[in-house]
Amino acid sequence: MTHTSDDWAGLLRAANAGDGRAYARFLCAVTPVVRGIVRARGRSFGPDQHEDIVQEVLLALHRKRHTWREDHPLRPWLYAIVRYKVVDAFRARGAVVHLPIEDFTEILAADPGPDPFAARDAARQTEALLGQLDPRAAEIVRALALREEAPADVGARLNMTEGALRVGLHRAMKKLATLAKGGTDGHR
Amino acid sequence: MDTDDLIARLATEAPPPPLHVAALSGRIVIATLLPAALFLGVLGTRADLAQAWANPVVPLKTLLPLVVCGLALGALARLVRPEAQARGLLRALAVPVLVAAGLWGWAFVTRPPVVRFAEVGMFSLSECVGLIILLAILPAAVALRVLRRGASVRPMLSGALAGLAASAGAATGYSLFCTQDNPLFFVTWYGAAIGVVTITAALVGRHLLRW
Repeated sequence: MTHTSDDWAGLLRAANAGDGRAYARFLCAVTPVVRGIVRARGRSFGPDQHEDIVQEVLLALHRKRHTWREDHPLRPWLYAIVRYKVVDAFRARGAVVHLPIEDFTEILAADPGPDPFAARDAARQTEALLGQLDPRAAEIVRALALREEAPADVGARLNMTEGALRVGLHRAMKKLATLAKGGTDGHR
Repeated sequence: MDTDDLIARLATEAPPPPLHVAALSGRIVIATLLPAALFLGVLGTRADLAQAWANPVVPLKTLLPLVVCGLALGALARLVRPEAQARGLLRALAVPVLVAAGLWGWAFVTRPPVVRFAEVGMFSLSECVGLIILLAILPAAVALRVLRRGASVRPMLSGALAGLAASAGAATGYSLFCTQDNPLFFVTWYGAAIGVVTITAALVGRHLLRW
């Protein structure tokens, strides 16, 4: 996809006039460029997070598409929005890293990590914590949070409803958080 | 969600009406004029306005905030677009600020120490600062609200400019009522009121104008 900026301007002009198909083509054409910028700037984040950020940028372009002046060049407008949202998204994620275990396991699953030893240690720590839960709760956490299996499959395997699974996962996560904070005497 | 699905979903939404910056600025101007006009309509301008303006310092009390208001509005309207810059207008804001500072310094030097701050009393002070802030609330709120349709990549600066335009506009209106013609008084306290509103609006804008 090697559209020039002129094509993009034409597509967005048609899109803002109500042409949904032109709009879809515009977003499809812009996406790889946005993805490239996000990948180049965000090496410390995993591919899953890259795609989340790409989608945030696309949403921002979507919400602010009326701020482009049709008689002005598209590129400066487009890059200004991409730049603003990428910086914003990275800043928002910088804070997430310091949150407790609920978020920690998600990052662990998504991020291959720049330091494999740190990742391995963290994984080992998580395993040790999971060992202190009862086996059923541990399996819920492994299946839903770490392996990201579909809740329906997990429910069928463990013979639980999805509602019960959600409650189970929530309780297990809370238990894990207290275990991680309080060391070994987490089980009252 | 898959990115292609997201795009397909976004493409079904109807396009929003285009952004008219002139209409947007117009609403801010009306919101600035309305409370000031109401205030002057009820309480009237100072009785001796015509004679007072014979002293060239007194019209400056009205002119300086008017210029600040105009420049802030101009910068604000520009920054509504994400790619826009407003360096020239922002630099130009230094001119009225420097003139006001010069006026203050000149008044300080030329007045004997006893009369420098003679007019400063709790009543005149709270009247001046309080009324300017009061008159600025509506335009600042309206400005922050209409700016949300824009896409400023500097939400805090846009917020500050919204507060500056609103409070300088309010000070312009109030100056026609105010009888304190000592620059040591009006530069200081108009400045304080404008500063309070500007900083507040900047802090609000930082959150409200993010997108």
